[in-house]
Amino acid sequence: MSYSCTSRGNSQDPSSAKQSVGTNPAQTGDSGTDSTGNGSPKQTEAMKVKKGCNSSEVVGVPVTTEEELLTRTAISPEDVLGLQKITENYLCSPDENIYSIDFTRFKIRDMETATVLFEITKPPSTDKTGEKRDIDPNAGRFVRYQFTPAFLRLRQVGATVEFTVGDMPIENFRMIERHYFREKLLKSFDFEFGFCMPSSKNTCEHIYEFPPLSEDTIREMVLHPYETQSDSFYFVDNKLVMHNKADYSYNGGT
Amino acid sequence: MGLLTILKKMKQKEREMRLLMLGLDNAGKTTILKKFNGEDVSTISPTLGFNIKTLEHRGFKLNIWDVGGQKSLRSYWRNYFESTDGLVWVVDSADRLRLGDCRQELSALLLEERLAGATLLVFANKQDLPGALSKEAIREALALDDIKSHHWCIIGCSAVTGDNLLAGVDWLTDDIAARIFTAD
Repeated sequence: MSYSCTSRGNSQDPSSAKQSVGTNPAQTGDSGTDSTGNGSPKQTEAMKVKKGCNSSEVVGVPVTTEEELLTRTAISPEDVLGLQKITENYLCSPDENIYSIDFTRFKIRDMETATVLFEITKPPSTDKTGEKRDIDPNAGRFVRYQFTPAFLRLRQVGATVEFTVGDMPIENFRMIERHYFREKLLKSFDFEFGFCMPSSKNTCEHIYEFPPLSEDTIREMVLHPYETQSDSFYFVDNKLVMHNKADYSYNGGT
Repeated sequence: MGLLTILKKMKQKEREMRLLMLGLDNAGKTTILKKFNGEDVSTISPTLGFNIKTLEHRGFKLNIWDVGGQKSLRSYWRNYFESTDGLVWVVDSADRLRLGDCRQELSALLLEERLAGATLLVFANKQDLPGALSKEAIREALALDDIKSHHWCIIGCSAVTGDNLLAGVDWLTDDIAARIFTAD
């Protein structure tokens, strides 16, 4: 699977954006910005974000471990909300995506300067029916992003995903995305898309305040590339059907 | 304390609103959504599913759902009714031929039980086009004055220029806020 990167703004060498994604971090996203947001909008999160929640803050969700979840036949939203750190493994196999959910675009824009910082699109998959070129079963489940330090100082961003759905309708689609730096949960998104039409193409943009990070944390995140990581879990009718991962560096352009 | 009161209190805490934007195809729903959020509106293709935006506006968390309006998709609209606080009905004011369809689809929606508690905002869109009907003409064509079941308002707007989009959303959020956040 190859992604073509159509990043605007501070685009990187386009050759690096054509690489395929895989479990081996070869993929490079791109971008960065020199935005120096200096407005002072004091708003709260635009969605159900439990920001900066350490394990103890999540009330009423039993703590779970990856080891425990790997033994389950079905994994629920509550199960992953109980996780305390990034997972080492994928918690479901690619085959469990029986609804052919396919993520076809990611975009991040800076709301203050109204610029697109990062955009990556995936051409519609042509191998839906034909050749199954199964080299790496985890291809497409992992993305590596490379940003500049300025990215960590953004105030308000809009993050868009676009996805397509196969020819079966989905009754209840839900996404939970958890971002960590080392063992610390930076933010946890939880959004219910609900119903998805068969053969549909859908988009969702969350416009939200970036979690405020201390100077120490920012410095550490820049100094330690790829120790910022995320797990994206997707559920249909409360059963895990997809699990994607990403990691991030913020030392680009240095 | 009734269930409704509890629900109201829960919503009040988060000040969250769910807005559902519907209308015939090519009415300009996606353009409105994008323009309102400061996005480029020069290349917009028919919506074959939904577009969602979650954002913060004047202290409210808005979840705005724009669902495709093609005839084949309209039977799916009902899947998005649940928990809707505000219905935005978008009209192509220059599409005189389909005003009858437009009126029928809207009146069917207003009979839906799950939309019974929603405030209605009608956007008479495309006011920038020379052939556009005025909002008064749209109001009459859609028989809005007959609506007794919902709070409603019609606003002439242009998604392309952005004219009056803010005014419409502000009216809608104010009306919803007055209904669900202060009632006790």
